[in-house]
Amino acid sequence: MTVYSAAHGAAPSRAARFTRRAAGAAGAYVLAILATAFFALPLVWIALSSVKSEADISAYPPMWIFTPTAANFEELFGKLKAFDALLNSAFVVCISTLLAMIMGTMAAYALARFSFRGKENVALQVLSIRMMPAIVSVIPLFIIARSLGVFDTPWLLIAIYALNGLPFVVWVMRVFIQDVPKSIEEAAMIDGCGRYEVFFRITLPLVVPGLAAVLVIIFMFSWNEYLFASMLTSSHAKTLPVLAANAIKPKAISWGLSSAAAVVMSLPVILLVLSAQRYLVRGLTLGAVKG
Amino acid sequence: MILLAPAVIYMTVVGFYPLVYSAYISFTNYNPVQGREGAWIGLENYVTALSDGQFWHSLLLTGIFTVLSVGLSLLLAILLALLFNKQLPGFLILRTIVLVPMLVTPIAVGIIWRTMMNAEHGLLNFLLSILDIDPQPWIGSSASAFASILLVDVWEWTPFLFIIVLAGLRGLPASPFEAAAIDGAGAFRVFFNITLPMLRPVIIIATLLRIIDAARTYDTVYILTRGGPDFATDLASIYLQRVNFQFFNLGYGSALSWLMLLAILIVVLVYVKLTGFLRLASEKEPA
Repeated sequence: MTVYSAAHGAAPSRAARFTRRAAGAAGAYVLAILATAFFALPLVWIALSSVKSEADISAYPPMWIFTPTAANFEELFGKLKAFDALLNSAFVVCISTLLAMIMGTMAAYALARFSFRGKENVALQVLSIRMMPAIVSVIPLFIIARSLGVFDTPWLLIAIYALNGLPFVVWVMRVFIQDVPKSIEEAAMIDGCGRYEVFFRITLPLVVPGLAAVLVIIFMFSWNEYLFASMLTSSHAKTLPVLAANAIKPKAISWGLSSAAAVVMSLPVILLVLSAQRYLVRGLTLGAVKG
Repeated sequence: MILLAPAVIYMTVVGFYPLVYSAYISFTNYNPVQGREGAWIGLENYVTALSDGQFWHSLLLTGIFTVLSVGLSLLLAILLALLFNKQLPGFLILRTIVLVPMLVTPIAVGIIWRTMMNAEHGLLNFLLSILDIDPQPWIGSSASAFASILLVDVWEWTPFLFIIVLAGLRGLPASPFEAAAIDGAGAFRVFFNITLPMLRPVIIIATLLRIIDAARTYDTVYILTRGGPDFATDLASIYLQRVNFQFFNLGYGSALSWLMLLAILIVVLVYVKLTGFLRLASEKEPA
């Protein structure tokens, strides 16, 4: 009798708990989909606009079904020579990223493995370079560029992007290299490896996730950078953001063209970063938060 | 030490030298367009700046913008992180989609929202019409432009805070939560007494990085409004850029940029002091 009543009493409460949990999950899905829509809708919208004709873009109410056209992309790559800008962007970003990573990783190794005075100032240095409004250094760089004859060449942008990325690399790689136990290196040295051999064959392979984290971040920042690029280039060394910003004229805006430019410019970095998503958080937080 | 040399030399030559040069220009009347070669005028630029109402307006606007943008996106990011911390099927894909806005080139973000906010054929007014709300002028009117650029900034940067807070949540130890469950603590109490305090270090780091970036916002606002209408969105970086490259008052512009840097520096130092950021950043060293 008692057994029966206990079972009888438990059954509805279990059912109630189940319903409550199901309702909770349903609610979570509704909220999650709403939130995702808020972030995704503008992206879908721009992607659609990029394959609409100028007339379809100006239609109201907005058209969801239309005949797609490649005209915007044709104009972008034809008249606006977006391919040149794409190459410029790729060249500048790749070289500067490489430079920053080589110099930065070397410095990070020194900071992680040897002790000397002033070590702790590195944190402040990283921050101070992040804090610097681009505005502060863009004027002197503009003047210097003019006088050195490197205005409107990729070299100055490479130098600047490498500089902006450098403290990031140093800081994040330092955290990662410290994670590698010293004993592994020492064991290799006992086996007769030199310092450099140890670095390249033991330590470096172990910090590949760190390199990926840094690479993703500084690639993203350089690829998306506009202010320096707009001030220090005019026609030959123009990068994609500059080209796209120029497509927005104050009065007559070509919506289709600028949408196409937005898509072409953003897609590479979105694909790159999403493919390395698991390294993103550590890179973004200077290695402080494990993602 | 040979390992350190390239980085240090590089940062000195490419980073430090322009700074010194910029500081020097800020004490001159350099203006290449008006043919002023840059005679030494001492503190005159800085004195002028003190009574430059436009500058203080833009600095104040930048301050309000930074506080509201970072505050709102942090709130939204925490809510989102709590939501997406549930491991339900399909959440991984949705979470990845939410990430995308922070990856989009800021210039493209500006383009996207200019089309969204277009008064005649923009998607936002269409969505409002479905909800039976009157169309809004968005960036077209000085009354709504500031709120509009805030909306864009929150859209763009909430994902940044979200992904960091989510990673922080995932990294929390399970035992305090189990203990709270045994004690029968409610969801709100668990959040305010356990989750939030344990997330503090993560939030402090992420927020600092956001504050620094928000204070320098330029690209999106340049595309959206160029500081207008009626200077309603004239952030400091936009105003400075106008002084420098529209009027070519490079001496005066340099002085203003140093004042802006000083303002950011003060905010950051106060923040670092109040939150103990540096201790946090170095505490993360491996045990």
